[in-house]
Formats: sequence, structure tokens, C-alpha cells
Amino acid sequence: MNNKLSAAARREQNWGYLMVAPTIIGLVVLNIWPFIQTIYTSFCEHLGFGHYKFNGIQNYLDVFSRPEFWRSTWNTIYFCILTVPVGLFLSLMVAMLLNAKIKGKGFFRTVFFLPMVCAPAAVAMVWKWIFNGEYGILNQLLGVHVNWVTDSKVVMIACAVVAIWSNIGYDAVLLLAGLQNIGKSYYEAADIDGASKVTQFFNITLPMVSPTLFVVMIMRLMSSVKVYDLLFMMVEETNPAVTSVQSLMYLFYRESFTAGSRGTGSAIVIWTVLLIGLITVVQFVGQKKWVNYDV
Amino acid sequence: MKRYPRAAALVLTITLLLSTLAGCGASDGKTHLTFQIWDVAQRESMEAICAAYTEKNPDVVIEVQVTSWNEYWTKLEAAAESNTMPDIFWMHTNQILYYSDFGMLADMTDLYDDVEPNYYQNHFSEISIGNACGSNGRMYGVPKDKDNIVMVYNKELFDAAGVGYPDEDWTWDDLTDASQKIYDATGKYGFMAYNEDHLGYWDFVYQAGGYILTEDKTKAGYTDPATARAIKFYVEMQQEDWCPDQTYFAETQPGIAFFSEACAMYLEGNWELMNKATRYDNMEGKWDIAPLPKCPDPAKGDGRATMSNGLCYSTAARGKNLEAVKDVLKFFGTEEAQRIASSYGAAISAYIGTEQPYYDAFDKAGYDLDFQVIEDQFEYSVQLVNNAARPKWKPLVVTELNKAYNGQSDIDTVLQNMQKIVDDATAANLANADYYK
Repeated sequence: MNNKLSAAARREQNWGYLMVAPTIIGLVVLNIWPFIQTIYTSFCEHLGFGHYKFNGIQNYLDVFSRPEFWRSTWNTIYFCILTVPVGLFLSLMVAMLLNAKIKGKGFFRTVFFLPMVCAPAAVAMVWKWIFNGEYGILNQLLGVHVNWVTDSKVVMIACAVVAIWSNIGYDAVLLLAGLQNIGKSYYEAADIDGASKVTQFFNITLPMVSPTLFVVMIMRLMSSVKVYDLLFMMVEETNPAVTSVQSLMYLFYRESFTAGSRGTGSAIVIWTVLLIGLITVVQFVGQKKWVNYDV
Repeated sequence: MKRYPRAAALVLTITLLLSTLAGCGASDGKTHLTFQIWDVAQRESMEAICAAYTEKNPDVVIEVQVTSWNEYWTKLEAAAESNTMPDIFWMHTNQILYYSDFGMLADMTDLYDDVEPNYYQNHFSEISIGNACGSNGRMYGVPKDKDNIVMVYNKELFDAAGVGYPDEDWTWDDLTDASQKIYDATGKYGFMAYNEDHLGYWDFVYQAGGYILTEDKTKAGYTDPATARAIKFYVEMQQEDWCPDQTYFAETQPGIAFFSEACAMYLEGNWELMNKATRYDNMEGKWDIAPLPKCPDPAKGDGRATMSNGLCYSTAARGKNLEAVKDVLKFFGTEEAQRIASSYGAAISAYIGTEQPYYDAFDKAGYDLDFQVIEDQFEYSVQLVNNAARPKWKPLVVTELNKAYNGQSDIDTVLQNMQKIVDDATAANLANADYYK
């Protein structure tokens, strides 16, 4: 094909490459090359200070034989199950409320978006005080004594609440954009036909917003699989409940940076990448059944 | 008017660019050195010794930078890989073997040869020297300070329960008795025993005549009967009413519990005392320090022990300013510099004979604590447990011991697993020793 291009077209093509070069170079240097290195590192033992010794699939065997690793994988999936459906549902509700004709809409939009602006570390600190078993306001209000962040049975739910709370605003803003693209005429026609609000939601809103919802869902799932900072801040390593919340990224951090075993750490990362890939493929297959692209 | 913000942005950008450039190359002809530490409470004392040096050497400028403990090691390791370590930095016993085995630290053994042969041996204790030594017995830093662990107790709670204050004759039995009495009389907790090694079960293990690592540091000692007994005693304290359980400690640090008068006793490193005294001045006069209680029937020894650690000042083996830095470090190890550092009350300098200014600092600030305790404890203190694989096994051991606390496994299984964790990590490290040397 290339040799059939005229000189002018070729020049234009070169200019095109030049224009995208900064982005491509950045991507290669900052994302792709480190990713290749991570794959290599996962087959090495880290001896210290950047000295690596190739040891084949030993890291993978090591990691797969540890119950702690499978527990972390389950914890990660469990976290996604807890946060993603509820989070998406609430975000959609919030987006619809913000899309309605109410006074002070701008103010409410800001309020819902605020958690997104706060540093995750600060968010976790505040929530930890709310959840504190001895002095926390939540136990005071409910009049119960639950160790929200130290009881292994409830700790994940507590973390999920914080995660949902911090993400609603962002997801809602994205969904809001989707909602605003739906033409008013559909609703007007439905009103004339006498359709109830619930029918309108399921037959107009949901199908029309589904492409946006799909994108938000993919993004939310990916970031939920990679959850680390929130859990790390909420549950320290000496917390007796740590095994119940230790996610894959938490385990990766501990391996790579606390224990200095970057080989096993990288193996965990590669596993996580595969997990995300699998989930995303399943979603793309599944979307054909519910996402509606013909507007 | 519309163009104004753009002009302002341009000016700002240029200024920023210029200032970054200025940061790169010192234009004043002086040697600029960086000095990295992790304890903000010691910033003043470190700046003071730097000032003392630069006063004599006006052509050197030293900038003290503080990073938090956790970030410190991540950053330092990354810097070591790319040979961009700070000119001077603190080195900790946890890590010194790891760094020195890989040849990252400059050898300081001959630093004082022109001043006095055996300088280190003459002016520093064996433990201080041990804490600055690599596996090969060479010095990879100039000893900075020394510390040990003391028991902090609440005098009012002891009075309220009618129990005598802890003294050097106190045994483990006295510790549990007093805790029970205080709990019965006041409803407050007694001794705080939580999942902690340095300020916790390690001290008890050495009191009982046990050991965490063998003398040659190649094997762990968790399954030694004396060690096992001490750890069991320590862990089982949480089953008593007077000691909160691990869930409590996950949310409340023992120090905070103590200074909010929720408990009567806990173990603390002497390096924290000034910080605690200043921060909780409402507790002034209500608390004091005591020696650690001794084991009543140790397998060997007299039942006394406390962990003693010490930091040192180190520099990179391939540093760009090595000669200039060596001169600074040489000064940091002198009596003069160590006396200055002591006088801020944050840490006891390692140089023998410079301890008094540390105690005087408390006097000056008006805090009356029984410092003879610290002085006496140095006589039977034990060097902090370490080997080159320690950064690898330490987090795993913490997780494993947690299982004994939350009832996931019984203590004997946990001890056996801990033994295996440490032995395996150490063996792996030794197996690789030839690879990088």
C-alpha cells in the first residue's frame, strides 16, 4: 500500500507520525516498557538493589502454593461484588436526581463530586474514626458495639461502604452526561401514551444510558480489582482482620516493597492483569445482550 | 487586561524553570551536601551539628531533609540502585547488613586512623560498634546514638491500687500481679502486651534466656524451649482481663492509650520519651520510667535483658562528594558533635561520656524522670536482633504471629512456622551471597 502513496501523501503521513510521537513515546517509555520489564521480573528472583537472577516459573509456583494468595484473590473479587453493583445503582440514582428539575442543582452536583477531590488517605482516616469501635460516631448513633475495622466478618463491608461513597460522585457525573444526551421527545411521547415513570425508566432511560453505563462499569471494575490505597489506610498490617481485606495489590505492595521480593510481587501483578483481562473479555461478550447502541 | 493572565503565567513558568536550574548547579562555589533523616523530632539536633561543622568549614553547606520512616527505605533503595543517594543519611540496624553486603555503603573503618588508632573501640560500646558493622566486621557508618527499652508506668494508677512502683527487683509475676490489682481496683488496663517484637516479646525472650537468632545469625531460635516459653507468656497476657486484645490495638496505639490514662504500663524506647513528655504535658508528674521486669526463672543468665539499638551516619560507597562527606562524618563522630546532639534530649549519643546532656535536656525542660534506669540497663542490654534477611522475614513473622492472637492457629504451630520463615529467608539470602559479591 505504502509505495502507492504520492509524495505529498507520504509527507502528510510523516507529519502525522510526528504529531502523535509525544504521546506514543510517553506511552512506550512510561507504560509499555515497564510492563515488559514487569513480565521479565516475574521470572526472576530479586537479590537486592536491582540485581536479578532468572529463576523460571518459581515465583508463580511459590505464589500459587500460598493460601494467602488465593485468599487475596477472593478478597479482591469479593470487594468487586460488594462495591460495583451497588455503586453503579446508587450512581445512576444520584445522576437521575441531579438530572431532574430541582433548585440548587449546581450545588448538589458539587457536593456529590466532593469525595472525588479528597485524597484517599484523608478519606480513610476520617472513616476510620467514624468506624472506631470504642469512640466511633457510628457505634454511638446505632447504640451497638461493632468492631467495624477489626472484626474479620464485617471489615470488608466497612471498606466497601467507603469505596462506594468515594466513587458515587465521579460515576454519577459520567452517567449524568449520558442521561443528558437522551432526547426529551422520547419522554414526551411516552407521557402521551400514558407510560408510568417506572416504565419510562426501564424502557427509555436504561437502554439509552446503557453505553455510558457500560463504560462506567468497565472502569469501575478495573479500578476495584486494583484497589489498594483505601484498604491499606483502613487496615494496617498488625490489624487482626488484615487477612480478610488483603487485596492482590495490598499483597503485591507487601511483597515488593516491605519484603523486597520484587519477583513474587511482579508475579502477583501479572496475575492481576490476567484477571482484569478475563473480566473485561467477559463484559464485552456480555454487553451484546444489554447495551443498546442504536439511538 | 485580557492578555494579563497569559503574561503572568509566562513569567511564572520562566521563574520556575530558572529556580529549578539554580537548584541543580550551586552557583556560590560552595560544596552543597544533603543529609537525609526520618525523625522530625531530631531535626533540630541534626541541624545543630551541621551548623557546628559549617561554622568551621564555611565552604560547605549541609541541608537536612526529613522523610517519614516508611518512605525513607523505599526512597533510599531506589536511590541506591541509581547511585543518587543523599550525601549523608542515617542507617538503621534493620537494613545495614542488606546495604553493606551489596557494597552500597562507604567503608568507615579507617576514618580516624590519623587521629587515634582504635578510635571506635576506645569511645564507643561494643553494641554501638556492632550496630554499625557489616557482616564482614568492617564499619559502614559512624555510630550516632544508642537506646534501650524502658517500662513506662502511671504512678496514680499504682497509688490507687495500693501497689508499689516497679523497681529493679520486679519479675514477670509482679507484672501480672500488679496488672490484676490495678484492673480490679480502677477498672483500667494493666500492662499492654501487643503484637510487637522490638518493644515487646524480643525483650521477654532474652530475659528468659532464649534467643531469636543464633550467635552466627544463620538460624532462628523460636523453637528453643526458653524462647517458646517467653513468647507464650507474652502472647497469653492478652487472655487476661487486664490486657486489651489485638482488636483494641488495631485502633489504639499503646502510647496513646497510656497517655490518655487508659492503662498503667507499656514498653517504650527511650528515644520517644522527650516527644511524649512534650506532647502530653498534662500528664506531667503522673508517670515515670522503670527497668523492664526480669524473668523469675531464666534458662540462663540472671533474667534481665533489654533490646539496645543504635543508628549510624553513613554515606554511599560511590558518592560524588565522598571526600567532603567523610570529613563531615569524621566530625559527627567526635565528642563535640555527639555532645551537641545529646543535648536536645531526642537521643542518647553513642560516644561514651556524652550521655549527660541528654538527661540534662529533660531537667531543663522541667521533666523529672528516673534516668538512672536507662543508664543501668545499658549494662545488661542485648544488641537488637538482625541479620541480612531481616527485611524479608520480618513482615511474614508479624502476619504469622497474628494468627496466634486471633486464634487462627495454636501458638506451637505458629512458633514452628516462624522458625521456618526465618530459616528459609536466611538460607535463601546466604545461598545468594556469592552471586552478588
